[in-house]
Amino acid sequence: MEEQVIYHPDFFAIPEGEGKPYLIAFHCAGCGKTWFPILPYCPSCWSNQFEKIALHTGKLYTYTVQNTPQAGVKAPLLFGFVDFPEEGVRVGAQIEVEAGKVKEQLKIGMEMQVIAGPIREEKGGKQVISYKFMPAV
Amino acid sequence: MNQREVYIIGVGMTKIYKKAPVSADELGRQAIYEAVKDAGISPKEIQSIFIGEMGGLSGSICFGQRVCGTIGLGGVPMANVESACSSGAIAVHQAYKDVASGRCDVAMGIGVQHLSGSRTAGTGLAPDPSDPEGIQGATMAGMYAMRAQRYLYEFDATPADLALVAVKNRRHAANNPYSSYQKPITVEEVLNARTIADPLTLLMCCPNADGGAAVIVATKEKAQQLGSKLVRISASSLTSGIFRNDFRDMTEMEITIRCTQKSYEMAGLGPDDIDMVECHDAFAIGEFLYYEAMGFCKHGEGAGFIRSGGPDYGGKVVFSPRGGLLSCGHPTGCTGTAQIVEATWQLRGDAVARQVPDCKAAITHVTGGGVYGLDNAACTMHILTR
Repeated sequence: MEEQVIYHPDFFAIPEGEGKPYLIAFHCAGCGKTWFPILPYCPSCWSNQFEKIALHTGKLYTYTVQNTPQAGVKAPLLFGFVDFPEEGVRVGAQIEVEAGKVKEQLKIGMEMQVIAGPIREEKGGKQVISYKFMPAV
Repeated sequence: MNQREVYIIGVGMTKIYKKAPVSADELGRQAIYEAVKDAGISPKEIQSIFIGEMGGLSGSICFGQRVCGTIGLGGVPMANVESACSSGAIAVHQAYKDVASGRCDVAMGIGVQHLSGSRTAGTGLAPDPSDPEGIQGATMAGMYAMRAQRYLYEFDATPADLALVAVKNRRHAANNPYSSYQKPITVEEVLNARTIADPLTLLMCCPNADGGAAVIVATKEKAQQLGSKLVRISASSLTSGIFRNDFRDMTEMEITIRCTQKSYEMAGLGPDDIDMVECHDAFAIGEFLYYEAMGFCKHGEGAGFIRSGGPDYGGKVVFSPRGGLLSCGHPTGCTGTAQIVEATWQLRGDAVARQVPDCKAAITHVTGGGVYGLDNAACTMHILTR
């Protein structure tokens, strides 16, 4: 098995068994705003009291296909921002769709779900695992 | 607070190079030499110096002291300033503040960048890998492509409209011997160039570049004494990004809107008074967003504005008369200073074939920095008048 490393395990969770991966947002007990990812203090009110909230599905706000990505990331790279309307949080991450069918499969406004998978390869070949998005099924 | 009026007495810059024949230090020295000669002062008269260079990419700590030392500039307050693409404009802003506040009578801001010789050579600039979006592989081109994608989705605009920005700026650059690229291009060529990040093609993205620029500012008395054509800094405004991770409208440039309001207020001017703008057109979509943010057309009308010739010679305001970042190339830390050099030449009536007719008021504008949660990390604007 290829060597893997999980990027920031406090950003997302991969439940054991049947449960789907989800993002971990932080709801501020002081002012009620929700943030992603974890922050030491709420940028609005400086409270450090947070309640964890799970983010499962959101709506695609915008996306792009990058043909010239950074080192360690394979091209073409599909990247997008997903809005979680109830929590008031937007998250940017890689998107997975069937190869060669970006335009058919991605539409702004469509429902997206959180998945986990490799996002880049470190020097030495170690895979970095993190959260990603795919069209909701 | 009582502020003194500040005037530009000397400007100088190198050509913007795809690959400079000299080192970063030398680019800085050449620009300073030109600016001092232009001002007609002794270099020893400069009482404070600020140098903008992005992120130590030129491979030196205390880069300003390295540039200045061997040409005999030292013994005065000197500081290196950095906020990505805003660095050079912030250097001029600091010089402006020293004169405005009465701390000194003559000050200099310099911007230098040598990207072709830096560790980022041959790569697209990207957010820091410690940012959540950086580790996921987003590049600056990708971030602007997503703004463009959303803009095309929400408003009456097509990739061909984005191409008009690249075509216009290249046409302007044909008259600018300081530009990296001067050969005219067509909408078809722009659309058929390889896609960097959908919908942005290679010709809708600014090329990395090398260059140096310097601006010397002084009191009105000093400027009058020197007898050169008077160019006043009517506004010098700097602001920083505000962290949010809720539903920011990516078809709008919130940081530039804030900075514009402050600048217009400071200068006592509005969009109808402005003859030209050098903006941060790092990517073609940027110009649409800045036409709107600076009040030259309404939100969502950027494409219609360029289709009707609004941001061109003969239109409402000339955007990017030197060819912008798209054609000149973008030596990141240098660009903000180079824009002020261009605006000064335009206001003096010295811009030759690319002269904006009867240019009375010019805006220069650079943002800077992809930092997680911020629209941009920095925004620096100057309004120059004659």
